Amino acid sequence: MKLSDRLFGVVVILGALAYTAGAFQIQASFMSDPVGSKTFPLILAGVATICGLVFLFRPDDDPKWPGRLTLGNIVIAVLVMVAYAHALKPLGFLMPTAVCAAILSFQISPRPLPAAITGLGLSIGLFLIFKYALGLGLQPVPKAWLG
Amino acid sequence: MQTKIRALALGAFMSVAGSAALAATECIAPANPGGGWDFTCRQIGKILYDIGQVDSPVQVTNMAGGGGGLAYSHVVNERGDDNNLIVAASQATATRLAQNAYAGMTADQVRFVGAIGADPGVIVVAADSPFMSLGDMVDAIKSDPGSVAFGGGSAAGGFDHLKVLMVLKEAGFTDITKVKYIGLDGGGDAITQTIGGFTQGMTGDMSEIVGFLQSGEVRALAVLTEERVPGFEDIPTAVEQGFDVVAVNWRGLYVPKGISDADFEAWGARLQAVADSQEWKDAMVANGLAPFTKVGGDFQSWVDGVIADTVELSKEIGVIQ
Amino acid sequence: MELLSNLALGFSVALTPFTLFLAVAGCFLGTIIGALPGLGPSNGVAILIPLAFSLGLDATSALVLMTAVYYGAMYGGRISSILLNIPGDEPALMTTLDGYPMAKAGRAGDALVLSGFASFFGALFATIGLMLLAPLLSRIAYQFGPSEYFALYLLAFSTLGGIASKNQAKAALASCMGLGIAMIGLDNQTGMPRFTGGNLHLMDGVDFLVAIVGLFAVAEVFVFIESHGRESSIGVRLGKVTLPVRDLAKGIGTMLRSSVIGFIAGVLPGAGASLGSFLAYMGEKNVQGERGGFGTGVPKGVMAPEAGNNAAAGGALVPMLTLGVPGSGTTAVLLALLLTLNITPGPTLFTDRPDVVWGLIASLLIANFVLLAMNVPMVKIFVHILSVPAWVLLPGVMMISFVGIYSLSGSYFDLLLMIFFGIVGWIFRKLDVPTVPIILGILLGNHMEDALRRAMILSDGDWRFLFGFRWHGPSDGYEFYSAIPSSLLVLAVAGFVAPIFLRRVIKRPQAVSD
Repeated sequence: MKLSDRLFGVVVILGALAYTAGAFQIQASFMSDPVGSKTFPLILAGVATICGLVFLFRPDDDPKWPGRLTLGNIVIAVLVMVAYAHALKPLGFLMPTAVCAAILSFQISPRPLPAAITGLGLSIGLFLIFKYALGLGLQPVPKAWLG
Repeated sequence: MQTKIRALALGAFMSVAGSAALAATECIAPANPGGGWDFTCRQIGKILYDIGQVDSPVQVTNMAGGGGGLAYSHVVNERGDDNNLIVAASQATATRLAQNAYAGMTADQVRFVGAIGADPGVIVVAADSPFMSLGDMVDAIKSDPGSVAFGGGSAAGGFDHLKVLMVLKEAGFTDITKVKYIGLDGGGDAITQTIGGFTQGMTGDMSEIVGFLQSGEVRALAVLTEERVPGFEDIPTAVEQGFDVVAVNWRGLYVPKGISDADFEAWGARLQAVADSQEWKDAMVANGLAPFTKVGGDFQSWVDGVIADTVELSKEIGVIQ
Repeated sequence: MELLSNLALGFSVALTPFTLFLAVAGCFLGTIIGALPGLGPSNGVAILIPLAFSLGLDATSALVLMTAVYYGAMYGGRISSILLNIPGDEPALMTTLDGYPMAKAGRAGDALVLSGFASFFGALFATIGLMLLAPLLSRIAYQFGPSEYFALYLLAFSTLGGIASKNQAKAALASCMGLGIAMIGLDNQTGMPRFTGGNLHLMDGVDFLVAIVGLFAVAEVFVFIESHGRESSIGVRLGKVTLPVRDLAKGIGTMLRSSVIGFIAGVLPGAGASLGSFLAYMGEKNVQGERGGFGTGVPKGVMAPEAGNNAAAGGALVPMLTLGVPGSGTTAVLLALLLTLNITPGPTLFTDRPDVVWGLIASLLIANFVLLAMNVPMVKIFVHILSVPAWVLLPGVMMISFVGIYSLSGSYFDLLLMIFFGIVGWIFRKLDVPTVPIILGILLGNHMEDALRRAMILSDGDWRFLFGFRWHGPSDGYEFYSAIPSSLLVLAVAGFVAPIFLRRVIKRPQAVSD
């Protein structure tokens, strides 16, 4: 079927169109130069469109996509990471890191106890390394707890 | 084995250094390591510690983004009452606030503590340039604007570009979009392009050209200060050549708006102590900075004035509507 | 003779027990920092500067420590590239292409030993170059204007076609994507924002470290979850760590060529240092031709980029010391350190502060030998990383990546961007779209566009300037002021066309045997 590359080609072309639209949104400045702010982005969008057409009409064979279960696992991993990114500032380093590392570990090898130990160990160990050996300004726990 | 033991020793040593830094003062440099703000934080931070104004080494955090806007919004929104925080600032901060480049944030959302040095603006040509004075250069631009291209470390409309435009405006040349200017990745790049003959003039800060002046590869046509700069007495000012332009890139600090007046004054006193220290005087000489100390309320009103001037100039030139 | 007395001065500064201790400690710390994803040489040096201050080090000692960290990180970057396919920073990027396949085939030890020697070779070559030629070489920068730089960047992209993908259109798309991402942020010429959607986080553009860590480290985790570890190097049966003398002997030519290319690239300010490993790899790939098997896990494929990037690291010190122009992120940080120590780099530094310059050169030499002595025996320890169970190692790598990126700007936005790049990296790997060109595009995009636009401003839109012609008015006509742009452009065209022809020539007989 070679559907993957065709679909990818469509996505690329749509992306290039959006990029082109974005290029026309760039505000002109009081100084103008012979090339201008838009030219280079427009050339890029043009080349990308040609690439997209190539994928559409001369696609490669489909890769092997994962089954529904594995895909679900990856989605969970993504969601955990996104949650982690948001939690890092308000909750401090230790708790979110322990939870996130434990969940990732559990996904790779589904045994609760080793996963929990991994999470805790990584969270405390990395905190000590980053804070004291490398001197990064990390905050261990929510700010409110520090008074 | 030897290696391992030494590493462990260093590790232990660093843990000690690290734990002392727990309640350390933080200085945010709103740019990647290596620029002027980074220099301000590291230099002032080092001296604050060396002369005993703070108990532990100042921790420098680099927070690059939005030409300083990210750090500004971080301080305004999240650290509004943190009395252990200082942030590096310069003329570029004022220029961007004036040109509304910080997404609507304004200068009154933080408190400017003071400036303790200024990098004088300079206009420079290669040693073999036909221009012997600022007047020569201005005349050449007036007769053929395309014949002189400037290189500088800021984008069009930025402070380096404005320096040239201010001189030309003073000379009565109004067709400013005809002036050739290319924005490079910093003053060092701008100067190599000028020595290489790709641009005819370089506009930047004194600190960027010190080494090249000493080696004789460039000549400074003018320095944009009221008086000649100590240590560089042979460089004439633009003012004495008949162009009434003063442009210095001051280096200083701001702190969050919400700290108490006592804390604010404490920071002013500490900064004054840095300014008075021999270490800072040595640093200024080595880096081509001119003495320029304004601290406290005095400085706040001065910054407000600078911003108002920049707004007016930017409108006149067309950088902002 | 003067050289010898200078060197003696340098060693007298650098060979005290304390500075030696600093060099060893710096090398060790640097190696570790280089191996951690998201904490490359530039972050490593920046993070450790406060340490130098709190120890109260004098100028020379501080420099010794920091350059040891710098070189250490350049060595260390290869470790995670080879073992886990995760480059810590952009200099180690190209090492993944052949290093990781070698690790998957159980030859991780060989790859690490060989790349260690190649790093040593490149760094030593560059240090000697710096020692003998620095003041002279600094003048090269004066020969490079906008047209010259544009031609140089075009050369880099023209060789991209054949990189690690069978489908040229996919490599081209990846380059476009990288270049397109580079356009995000403030336009260097006009100061107006582009493609930011008013988002303050995007004003300075997308940091390439975010893209590297996302496309490699995060994507690697997804691949691992998907394949249940079958396609990973983790847990692979390791061969015994030996000294692969034959591979080393065969690679001397490779290392020499790559060091020369890397060093020259490093000397040119303006993304020169990141070009070093890339041009070295692509150049060597062309020298070895289709039979060299670059990209499948060959020893020369790890030696070329490692010699190249370490030579570039040394080369980048030339413009930093003699012009005060940083050619890379790390040299920008070192420059800041010098300024803080009241040392002003510039054309007169070599005569004004010989103690600093020669102390630095001596300590670079020392650091090199320390690193070789440290890195080759320690390979036995490094490869054991692969024996750590995946359920500890991968979450660990992820968390380190998060902290590394978080330390850049302290905002969740970069973290989200990194996760996004991770998803893109995983999909692209499925579709056989190479990710290396994306990183190069992000690294070089702005430089390339700026060079073109600056050239056109200077020449009033006359494209002949790009070939080295300068207009001198109707009476004088054009002057052919420099042969550099045209030569580079010819090389670029050759680099683009040569692989296509070579492939045709070699493919024909193969088609029969298929």
